[in-house]
Amino acid sequence: MLIPACGRNKHDAEVNTIDSTLISQYIIAGIVIGLIYSLMAMGITFIYSIMRIINWSMGEFYMVGGYLQYIIVSRLIGVKVWYIGVILSMIGVFLLGMLVQWLLIKPMFEGNVEKRAEYATIVTISLGVLFVNVAVIGAGPFIYSPPGYSHNTQILTLPLSGTRYVAFIGTIVLLSLFYLFLKKTWLGRALQGAAQNRIGIQTAGINVFRLDQIAFGIGVALAAAAGALLAPEFYLYPKCGNIATMKGFEIIVIAGLGSIPGVLCAGLLLGLIESLGAVFLNPSFRDVYGFLFLLAILAIKPTGLFGETERVA
Amino acid sequence: MKRNLNSFVILIAVFFLVSTYHPFPGQAATAKEPVKIGVITPLSPPGDPAAGQLIVRGAKFGAKYVNEEMKGILGGRPIELMVEDDAGTPEKGVAAFRKLATKDKVIAAIGQYHSSVCTALVDVGAEYGIPTFSTGASASIITEKHQVTTFKTHVNDYDRATTWFDFFLSKGWKRIAVLAENTDYGVGLFEATKLIKEERGLKDVEINGIVFDRKVADLTPQLLMLKAWKPNVLLNIGVGDPTYRITKQAYDLGFFPQVPMMGAHDWPARPEYWKNLGAMGQYMMFINYYHPKMGLSPIGEWLKPRFDKEYGEIPTYMAYNAFGQIVLLARAINLAKSDDTKDLIKALEEGSFEFWAKGDVVQFKRLPGARWHNHTSPLQIVQFSKIDQPIEESIILWPPNMKTGEFVSP
Repeated sequence: MLIPACGRNKHDAEVNTIDSTLISQYIIAGIVIGLIYSLMAMGITFIYSIMRIINWSMGEFYMVGGYLQYIIVSRLIGVKVWYIGVILSMIGVFLLGMLVQWLLIKPMFEGNVEKRAEYATIVTISLGVLFVNVAVIGAGPFIYSPPGYSHNTQILTLPLSGTRYVAFIGTIVLLSLFYLFLKKTWLGRALQGAAQNRIGIQTAGINVFRLDQIAFGIGVALAAAAGALLAPEFYLYPKCGNIATMKGFEIIVIAGLGSIPGVLCAGLLLGLIESLGAVFLNPSFRDVYGFLFLLAILAIKPTGLFGETERVA
Repeated sequence: MKRNLNSFVILIAVFFLVSTYHPFPGQAATAKEPVKIGVITPLSPPGDPAAGQLIVRGAKFGAKYVNEEMKGILGGRPIELMVEDDAGTPEKGVAAFRKLATKDKVIAAIGQYHSSVCTALVDVGAEYGIPTFSTGASASIITEKHQVTTFKTHVNDYDRATTWFDFFLSKGWKRIAVLAENTDYGVGLFEATKLIKEERGLKDVEINGIVFDRKVADLTPQLLMLKAWKPNVLLNIGVGDPTYRITKQAYDLGFFPQVPMMGAHDWPARPEYWKNLGAMGQYMMFINYYHPKMGLSPIGEWLKPRFDKEYGEIPTYMAYNAFGQIVLLARAINLAKSDDTKDLIKALEEGSFEFWAKGDVVQFKRLPGARWHNHTSPLQIVQFSKIDQPIEESIILWPPNMKTGEFVSP
């Protein structure tokens, strides 16, 4: 099957023909990158669902996770046990997140602070700037990359880097574990309870401030996992977290704030739309298709695909 | 208490007298007053901070050479560098230039690396009448504006595209795929490549290109499309992290090195190249501005061992170029016998200046088009034939008079 690609701009000197193999490659590539996008976004929506604040420094936690993985794998344990590096990076960023939450976020929940969302916005944006500058000072201006995690492979028609394949599988594993944690453990159910009714869960004798701290740590650890898994693929530099920030927020708006299944669905949709938009319309404007989709969703369903309208008593 | 206060006042008075005493007041004050030169370059993302750091290192050695070897300028005045970060963004570059012009009173500014920033600074330099040097920015528009204050000792788009076009034709490569970032640099080089095809009327040469947003991490769809087109060669026109992503992702898709790749500038000559790409970097060809086999001028020979001792690596082109520009400016100021910018511009236009490469002499002439005030050092196309190959062992593929070996493919 041959399909003419259309809508090319003046830089694209000629029209291609696209066969079914190419389309299948684009679909597979879209699914793979879409699922990876979901991991970048999961932490943002998880923190929001518990604490009702948006962590704007999520991309910087992604960056910290990547740098930690680089140090652990390249300098300490070697690439053969890269997965231990991912776990250690997650633990490191989890602890960093708990510390940040305790120092900077918790105080606004303790008193009768008005406009918590604005406070959180300022605090987390400032934190992001701080992390980037620390990275510039600590790591210098150079681009880093840990060695690839695995040999190149093939998913059906698509040749794929070993690292991207590992990130794809790793995302499935992490999201599955995260789902099981939420559904099957006491702490997970407590976190769900906090997401539904913060006052209610306090009446049951649960320390909601401690849950906030854990939720923030888990959320940023998920971002760190994405950073650690993708470090050899997308490279490390002080602003590499912008990738996670841009895609993460795009996904949570499409999904609806606070919807965890929605994040998975929106990530896959975004990956597919970007990929197919590139092949059928114009590859130069790949990111635009995702934003057009986002605008369409906002116009049709302002709360996002899986978001719910707030119930006010 | 009163005694202590008196002692304190006397101490301050003695300190004031000692610090302001000179045997020949007029001469000494003038002799120590530095001549300030601005260095505006990317030192943080989204610019290419690795390039910026190399430029700063080279410029600092340039100041060291002037202050220690030339014993200063205009009878002993030292050069002082004022370094500013433009982060690869025009607005930050313009703000930095205004600060250097109004607060620091610099006599010239060098260090420009990103074409979009340099293009913006060309007009600001003209506004203040301050000579503005492109160290690594190549867009033709920089010198095509014909500002009296604009100077460039770096290749322009057209010369660079001509070099790779001639090489491609010599290899019989007539299907040219281009992946270019959406900056003045990327689009400018893409346009220059197409312009050469049109000018020469080469109907059998096909160019198929995609301009991408340099913030995009995943370039798989773009690369799949170009791969399916079955090109003879892929032009990688990115700066900083996108260049690495193009190379790695093309490798992962089985596109490169099966199809040869040409880097549009000398980024593979940097020490981090092999660390980040490993075996994926083998067979890369790239436009290079300096090859160790070219030889160095006396000032280039002065820099090489000192840079190596300080940083544990030989200088790359960007460091040499920034170094050369500082020394060139110092000699032009001496020629002008003045630190007035109008006199300096006149001296730059009238003088001939030894540069850092062997036999390379710089002259800034008011020539048509992009050749206005533009000096281009000889370009080469080189290839890494082996993994971890140092730049001095890379093969020079082009031009024919410098060729040291044949193109190697897997």
